[in-house]
Amino acid sequence: MYYISAASTISHQPAFLNPGFSGMIEPLHAGSALINPDYKEYIEPGLLRRMSKILRMSVACSGACLKQGGIEHPDAIVVGTGLGCLLDTEKFLNHALTVKGLLPPTSFIQSTHNTMAGQISLSLGNHGYNMTHTQNSVSFENALLDAMLLIDEGEKHILAGAADEHIALLDEISKQLNVRSDSRFTSGASFFILSAEKSDQTLAGIKDAEAVGLVKNIPEQITAFLDRNNVSPEDLDLVLYAGSIVGTEDEEKGFQSFWKMENLHVINYLKYSGIYPTASAFALHFAVDKMQHTRSLKNILICNSLIQHNLGLILVQSVEA
Amino acid sequence: MSVRITGIGVVSAIGLSVQENLLALKESRTGIMPFSFLDDDKIFLAGAVKATNPVLKKESKTQSQFISRTTLLGLKAAREAYGNAKQHNQIRTGIISATSVGGMDQSEQFYNAYLDGTDADFAMLGTHDSGSTTERIAAELGISGYINTLSTACSSGANAIMLGARLLMQGKLDRVLVGGTDALTNFTVNGFRSLMIYDEQWCRPFDESREGLNLGEGAAFLLLENEKSIRFSGNRTLAFLNGWANAADAFHQTASSPEGKGATLAMQKAIEKSGISPSQISYINAHGTGTKNNDLSESVALTNVFGDQVPAFSSTKSFTGHTLAAAGAVEAVFSVLAIQNQLIYPNINFSTPITETGLEPVTILQAEKPVHAVLSNSFGFGGNNSSLVFSDHA
Repeated sequence: MYYISAASTISHQPAFLNPGFSGMIEPLHAGSALINPDYKEYIEPGLLRRMSKILRMSVACSGACLKQGGIEHPDAIVVGTGLGCLLDTEKFLNHALTVKGLLPPTSFIQSTHNTMAGQISLSLGNHGYNMTHTQNSVSFENALLDAMLLIDEGEKHILAGAADEHIALLDEISKQLNVRSDSRFTSGASFFILSAEKSDQTLAGIKDAEAVGLVKNIPEQITAFLDRNNVSPEDLDLVLYAGSIVGTEDEEKGFQSFWKMENLHVINYLKYSGIYPTASAFALHFAVDKMQHTRSLKNILICNSLIQHNLGLILVQSVEA
Repeated sequence: MSVRITGIGVVSAIGLSVQENLLALKESRTGIMPFSFLDDDKIFLAGAVKATNPVLKKESKTQSQFISRTTLLGLKAAREAYGNAKQHNQIRTGIISATSVGGMDQSEQFYNAYLDGTDADFAMLGTHDSGSTTERIAAELGISGYINTLSTACSSGANAIMLGARLLMQGKLDRVLVGGTDALTNFTVNGFRSLMIYDEQWCRPFDESREGLNLGEGAAFLLLENEKSIRFSGNRTLAFLNGWANAADAFHQTASSPEGKGATLAMQKAIEKSGISPSQISYINAHGTGTKNNDLSESVALTNVFGDQVPAFSSTKSFTGHTLAAAGAVEAVFSVLAIQNQLIYPNINFSTPITETGLEPVTILQAEKPVHAVLSNSFGFGGNNSSLVFSDHA
């Protein structure tokens, strides 16, 4: 078991510095805005001015997470991002193609995927392992697996998280390509402290996680994953999902009929997080928060097939005090 | 602690295969030449791969309508490293690639048309995200399951190799193809120009007169296998990966610290992990980009780690240009070749040592001394520093 000692999220939901937020969330609607914290509390003004949305979200979110966990220096910083720093990427791309002569370098510098992890190490003065994973819809799961590997190797506390940011072009792309979506494209950031040992801080445990690329048979993979962890479908108190596991229109019924459990509690987390490649990190915080406040929840499965050919699985378990 | 390397593949400015690369290294022949993009008349020095997209695409036999140059280069190197490896249901196979630009070459084409208001094909953007380049390579090779992409700027390739080794050591996989790929793009050329570290002359790593880097493009992959996998594959071990480490410099978004803190930590930890003593390192394939900042910081770090006994070192970026996320992997393949062929490569275009450190890289090919262990450095933006130790023994 890997222990979560702190969790922090910036999203459309009132999750930031707000334990119990899972009880007061509402599906996103057209007008709902991203709830930004007071960034000045986490980032000095000179730096803040130059930072894009994803960068300020990541630095503030991870900062709050470390504070909550009482960890000054994590042993490692691991970040997942599906599309990286899109605002700065588009800005520099635009400049490079339209402006003649010397370009300002800031957006180029901040366009690299590891800007977030790098900036976090910089703000902490942290010299530990620093990694950025980018595997579209399973970027967070891959970052989480790296954090778990570090714990297996003997590290104590890992800062692991994910962030993605929305640009207007994404809406245009999805419209042009007729991407079916049941929620809005948006931004989000979630960070966690993953610890080797249980403590007073422990919020919940991660029993196991998996990221399967070019997945052939999603139901088979889920069954094998649960089997490997000695958990039967009946043990699941809640399934948080994105995308369809059996390719049916009614995804909720798909889950219920797959396990022949009509009363299985399933929630499409994209309705609350909005759509971004690393939204499963929001789902993890959602699961952890729900467990904290509903003691009967023992096993929550996060099942991410936001992109049909990728599957992310995270098994969250409650931890007895 | 060590991991077996049983396959290597590389595509760079100095060749389209391992053998072509080796020949150019032996002949001290650079691949950096005057270059311009198809739709642009501006000429600059770059280490372009001497193969066009249509040629690469035809050879790859891919059915994909849109495929980025990053993927095409990666696929070629990955196929060479993977050899005729067959899928086996008892062998858990994975792939970890590294890229910094992903499908940016395609995105640039799209965005140009988009800005012009001409018929931009949005489907082209399916190749944009870095993860999709790895997925495409995996699909062509028939690999599914553990598919992952790392993007930590110029240290990405080394990090992919490191992660693969860790997954084997922890028993998560039996066999993993690790490496990196990056194509030349307007985006990166303009980016390094905007930072005023693009040398308009041939780059001169570790030379007092150095003024910046020349960009290159390329890809390289290595096949790492555990004992179980080797029993099935029967592959010969080419060399061992004995040590690895990643450390953050935590100094500046792009610049390296003057005292080379992160670089020193990465080298020290990797050497310590390898169990090989610093005096047994035969050769260092340095990061050596040719920028004022990197080469000084790296030189200071080399002195921090090795004192006045700095082993023979050189930067092969004077051959290939800086291939960004592929660099760590390209140079890992060169490190394996150095061990296999008892070679220490020259640092082309060097004449005057850096005043502050006085360190002199190797300037003429050395082929007479045994090469048992090689340290390879890769440092990236965001202060991301990685070092790998390769050797001829477990």
